[in-house]
Amino acid sequence: MDLVDLITEKRFIGQEFLTWLWYKSDERGGTVLLPEMGEDITLVFEKHLLLEFGEGDSHEKIICTGLQAELKEARTGLQMGKKLEQARIHMIRGEYEWHMTIKASLMEFRSVKVPKTMDGVDEGDTQEAVEGRLLDRLGLLETVYKTFDELLGQFIRIRISDQWPAEAAKLRTWIHHSDR
Amino acid sequence: MGLLSSAATFVRYRVVGDIAPDFWDTAAEQISRCVFKDIDDTYDEFSVGWVSVLNMFDTEFTSASFVAGDHICLTMRIDERKVSPKVLKKFCLKEEERIKKERQIPKVSRGQRLEIKENMEMLLMKRAAPVPATYDLAWNLAENTVLFFSTNQKAQSQLEDFFKETFGLLLSLEIPYTTAERLLSTSEGHALANISPAVLV
Repeated sequence: MDLVDLITEKRFIGQEFLTWLWYKSDERGGTVLLPEMGEDITLVFEKHLLLEFGEGDSHEKIICTGLQAELKEARTGLQMGKKLEQARIHMIRGEYEWHMTIKASLMEFRSVKVPKTMDGVDEGDTQEAVEGRLLDRLGLLETVYKTFDELLGQFIRIRISDQWPAEAAKLRTWIHHSDR
Repeated sequence: MGLLSSAATFVRYRVVGDIAPDFWDTAAEQISRCVFKDIDDTYDEFSVGWVSVLNMFDTEFTSASFVAGDHICLTMRIDERKVSPKVLKKFCLKEEERIKKERQIPKVSRGQRLEIKENMEMLLMKRAAPVPATYDLAWNLAENTVLFFSTNQKAQSQLEDFFKETFGLLLSLEIPYTTAERLLSTSEGHALANISPAVLV
C-alpha cells in the first residue's frame, strides 16, 4: 500500500491514539506513565480540541474550546462517534514544560513552544554559540516526538493485543460518563 | 513556524536507504552544488536551493554552519515569480481593447486572444518580483530522521524532490501507522496491518 492510501485508510490509528491518550491523562488527573522509563509525566489536554466525523461531502468538524479536562462538548462529540483529530496539550517532563498542538491523523506537531533553557549570556553570535542554540532547541523538539513515540508504542501494543477489548470497554465507559 | 521560531511546527521523515560511509566528507560538496541561486536580476520563474537557517541570503553558511552535532540544519529557500489571475485578466482585456480600437474591428478572434494571453503572461512574469518562501529542516544522521518545519503539502513535496536531488536519498513521511510499524517487531507488524477502526460509542 502506498503512503497516500495508508494516510487515508489508517488515519483512525492516530485518532484512536489521541483519544486513548486523553483518557489515560484524565484517568490520573493529568499524569501519564512512560513505562519504558518508569517515569511519570504530565500531559494535560487544554483549551482547544478538534473533532471530525464522516468523509467527503459529509465531512464535519467541530472545534471545542474550554479549560482543561472539562471540555464537555468535545466529550459529547466522542459519544456521538466523532473522532478526536487535534488537541492542544501541555506537557511537563522533568523540570521542563512544553505546549503543543497535535494533529492526530498525520502526527503533525504544531505550534510547539519549548522551555527556555539557556541564559542570555549563552546567546552570542559566534558559530559555536549558534550551534549550541540549535542543538539545545533540537534536543527539546526531539524530546517531544520521542515522548509521543513511546506513548504511541504503549498504545499500539495494547491495541493489537488481547488486552484491547478490556481497554476499549474502559474507554467507552469513560466517554459515556464524561457528564458526571 | 520554523526551527528557531518561538512556536515550531513540524512533521517527521525517515531517510530511506543507506548513507555512504564517507557522507560527512562529501556533504559540503553536495550542499554547495544545490545552494540557492538568486533570480532577482533574471527572468527565471522559479529557483530552489539551500541557505543558512539563520539568514536566507547566506549561501556560504558563514552565519551558521549547516552542521550541529550529529545534525545537518538547512533552510530550503524557494523564490517564485507569480502573476495573479485577476491581474493577468485585466491586462489581457486592456490589450484586446487596444487592438480592437487600433484595427477598427468589433472583436478579436480566439487565436488572437490566446496569443495576447501568452504574451501578457510572459510580460507580467518578467515584471513580477520573485516571492520568497523558506522552510527549515533538521536531519539527525544518527537516527536517520528529518524534521521538516512545514505542514504545507506542496512544500513537503518540493522537499522530497529537492532532498533526493541533493543527497540522492529518499524521504518517507512518518504517520502514526508507519511510526507504529517501526516501533513493533515483524510479527506484531502483521497484527497491526489487520486492525480495523474501533467502535467507541
